[in-house]
Amino acid sequence: MTTPTPATTTHVRPNYMLIWLYLFVMTIAEVLLAFELPVSRNLKLILLLILAIWKALLVALFFMHLKFERWRLRLIFIVPLPLAAILVTAVIMEKVW
Amino acid sequence: MQTSTMTDAMRPPYPAEPGAGVYSNKLGMWVFLASDVMFFTALIGSYIVLRFGMPTQWAQPGAVLNVPLTGLNTFLLICSSVSMVKAYAAIADGKKYFLRKVPGQRLQDGGLKFWLLITIICGAGFVSVQLVEYVKLVGHGFTPSGYREGSLLAEHALADPVKYGAGVAGMYGSTFFTMTGFHGFHVTCGVISMLYLYFTKVLPEKYSPQDYRGIEVIGLYWHFVDLVWIILFTIVYLI
Amino acid sequence: MTSVAHAKPEGGGGAHDAHHAPMSFWRKYIFSTDHKIIGIQFLFVSLFFLLVGGLLAMQIRWQLGFPGQPMPGGSILPETMAVNRVILPEYYVQLVSMHGTFMVFFAIMPLLVGVYANFLIPLKIGTHDMAFPRINMASFWLALLAGLIMTASFFVPNGPIRSGWTNYAPLAARPDLSGVTVGQMLWCISIVVLGLSSVMGSLNYITTVINHRAPGMTWFRMPLSVWALFITAILGVLALPVLQGAAIMLLFDNVLGTHFFDPVAGGQALLWQHLFWFFGHPEVYILILPAMGMVSDIIANGSRKPIFGYHSMVFAIIGIAFLGWIVWGHHMFMSGMNPTLGSTFMVSTLLIAVPSAIKVFNWLGTMWRGNLRFHVPMLNAIGFVSMFTIGGLSGIFMAATPVDIPLHDTQFIVAHIHYVLFGGSLFALFAAITYWYPKMFGRMMNEGIGKLHFFLTFIFYNMTFFPMHIIGMGGQMRRIYDPTVYDFLKPQQPLNVFISYSAFALFAVQFLFAFNFLWSLKFGKKAPQNPWEDNGMEWSLPNPAPHGNWEKTPNVYRGPYEFSAPEAGDKDYLPQYTKLPTDRDPVPAPLPAGGH
Repeated sequence: MTTPTPATTTHVRPNYMLIWLYLFVMTIAEVLLAFELPVSRNLKLILLLILAIWKALLVALFFMHLKFERWRLRLIFIVPLPLAAILVTAVIMEKVW
Repeated sequence: MQTSTMTDAMRPPYPAEPGAGVYSNKLGMWVFLASDVMFFTALIGSYIVLRFGMPTQWAQPGAVLNVPLTGLNTFLLICSSVSMVKAYAAIADGKKYFLRKVPGQRLQDGGLKFWLLITIICGAGFVSVQLVEYVKLVGHGFTPSGYREGSLLAEHALADPVKYGAGVAGMYGSTFFTMTGFHGFHVTCGVISMLYLYFTKVLPEKYSPQDYRGIEVIGLYWHFVDLVWIILFTIVYLI
Repeated sequence: MTSVAHAKPEGGGGAHDAHHAPMSFWRKYIFSTDHKIIGIQFLFVSLFFLLVGGLLAMQIRWQLGFPGQPMPGGSILPETMAVNRVILPEYYVQLVSMHGTFMVFFAIMPLLVGVYANFLIPLKIGTHDMAFPRINMASFWLALLAGLIMTASFFVPNGPIRSGWTNYAPLAARPDLSGVTVGQMLWCISIVVLGLSSVMGSLNYITTVINHRAPGMTWFRMPLSVWALFITAILGVLALPVLQGAAIMLLFDNVLGTHFFDPVAGGQALLWQHLFWFFGHPEVYILILPAMGMVSDIIANGSRKPIFGYHSMVFAIIGIAFLGWIVWGHHMFMSGMNPTLGSTFMVSTLLIAVPSAIKVFNWLGTMWRGNLRFHVPMLNAIGFVSMFTIGGLSGIFMAATPVDIPLHDTQFIVAHIHYVLFGGSLFALFAAITYWYPKMFGRMMNEGIGKLHFFLTFIFYNMTFFPMHIIGMGGQMRRIYDPTVYDFLKPQQPLNVFISYSAFALFAVQFLFAFNFLWSLKFGKKAPQNPWEDNGMEWSLPNPAPHGNWEKTPNVYRGPYEFSAPEAGDKDYLPQYTKLPTDRDPVPAPLPAGGH
């Protein structure tokens, strides 16, 4: 439990260039989706959000190494997210009722 | 916890708890990023509420904003993110050099100095393009308080109120400039810190595979800024 | 900081600093990176702002007690604030706004978090300094800068904000409505700077507590004060950025012509309230949790008993902090909010009574059949528990929507907030200042003056704030300029006069404290090493604690509340740093290396 993680024993590095390619392709897909694809606005919105979150996850997991960190470190980044969701939900409900 | 010392002595020696298992600079940066998440929550949350809590549709994507230019900017930022992580991998492998010929490979192998410089250039490029974008938008009449009277955009909005979201342009301008402006501010801060590190730590080769905390910490910040932009690009420019 | 490759397991740069040559006055006391000096700097600055806030309160009380009569000393005010020494309505509402702003942001919050998180966390967890000493120093200077910016708004044209400390939009967002231009901008800028300062401080506290505990200082051996300050820091890191974001939008509304909070142009006034209170309610717990933590330490000490239910205390702190995020709407029952949200917020707010009651009962359980020592910190701590309970009970009135609607925006809510903020936080602060004074300055504060100050404060405090409940129920609005303009409020005016006299007496009594504080700096009794016979790590050091604290990182052998333990022999306390023959040394955790 208390063993340190020396710099030498790193995990197998992900292929960063491949992730860059994913990000690039998905950005292009997003732009095409937003302007070229003849689907309804709501579907577009959902697809775009999925793509954006997917891209953000790729950055967080691989570039920020969250995939290779301990849970207690991941927790720091996860804690604000429900709070953000609570805030936005409550304020949205304000307008919808 | 309130057990007496007698039982304590019967247990194995008390290990100091390992904390987060990461060194303090990195932990501190993660905590800061968590707080930055909340900052952008305030801005993005307000945008969501102001935009989708409103019966009137805002301007259609691409009507006001220059999406191809910003698409290029997004590309720049993604490139800078990958070069940042390459810089991190380089110093972890002990590659302090700029470029070096590797036997058997056609391309030269980039070291920390090379990849960090690429990151700085891409970051500075992002800020410059954003400035150009702002100048152009204000020139067309898109300001934080809406379409300027008598400007090109105001005329367009008169002609086609649906496409240009006439009537709610004030909200559009408010949220657009605040969100992208503060993101740009974050990028600028990142570029300045990287420049500082480049001249004080990277060029004098102060980093080693045993200690490259500065690179990892600034890298985390940089990727976070990239992550925020990915979200912003989608919700501001494409939706 | 040393590089990790060379760092000893003890970690931290402080170990070397202890042997450094004496530093110049400027490096040591002004631009210091030592957590204790920064804490003391915060102490003096925030006590000054406490005085400023108190002076503003006295003017409010003059106007409410004697509306339309010339105020003594009012002649120094310019024509825009008081004509013929009579307070103008515009100035009155500025007084109310700035009293709240100064007390919340520049007096109580820095007193609790700036002073005691800085001072206590490294000392109590047995480390040499904060994780990031220079960020810590920057945090202090930014807080001071924010305070000066806020003070400056008194001297600009049109004066400071007129929209209350909550700055409700659209009044705050529209200079043409409020009549305040520069003052509003300065408020926003000051709050953004203050938020930055708080985030920098808080991330320091979090990192220090997680990573820099001494060997043997496990999570559940931490004193409750450290637990409370740690959780408070988490709240600060997550809450203040939201306020910063909101303040920036408000600033842009005033400066750049954006329309975030202006309904005329499509903005939402309620959005400001949501953002403000999303920050504001965690802020309430930022203002009370450290007080609770420090009072727990002091009550255990004064009762010579282990704290009752240590784990439940910890989980109550965590529970309060968690619930604090989902209750902010109870500040907005009056705003015409979605009724579904209203009932949700009502239920979650009532839930907070549970962890709060756990804490109160645990304090009582700690005192129950204890060997009580009524020293000044203990008296103030008991004052805290009783006053906080009253404040908590009136809080339940506010939590229930149907009761809140007639009571909100009356003096009842003024009474409520002062019972938790003055009766709660400030009594805890009087306790904490007296308790850790020897650790800061090496001398004791005078016991007799301290007791006199406590009893007089306690009496005048209740005389001031308790009648506010009554006049509030009688219908007196919270920010009313002149209560005598309404016939139905006229019968209450004698009570208002009574409150005002009590408030003046309360203010005057505080000079006893100020005198005691300043006089003892020079002439106080020299403090013995462990004046309160306490168990905390900080008492293993001489008074005042030296730069860099311990020469060698200490070991921790037990929890912080081992009072009256049989192993202690003839003493009734067993410090965390005392090694009994049966104790084994803890194994220091190796520091993580530079990569991952």
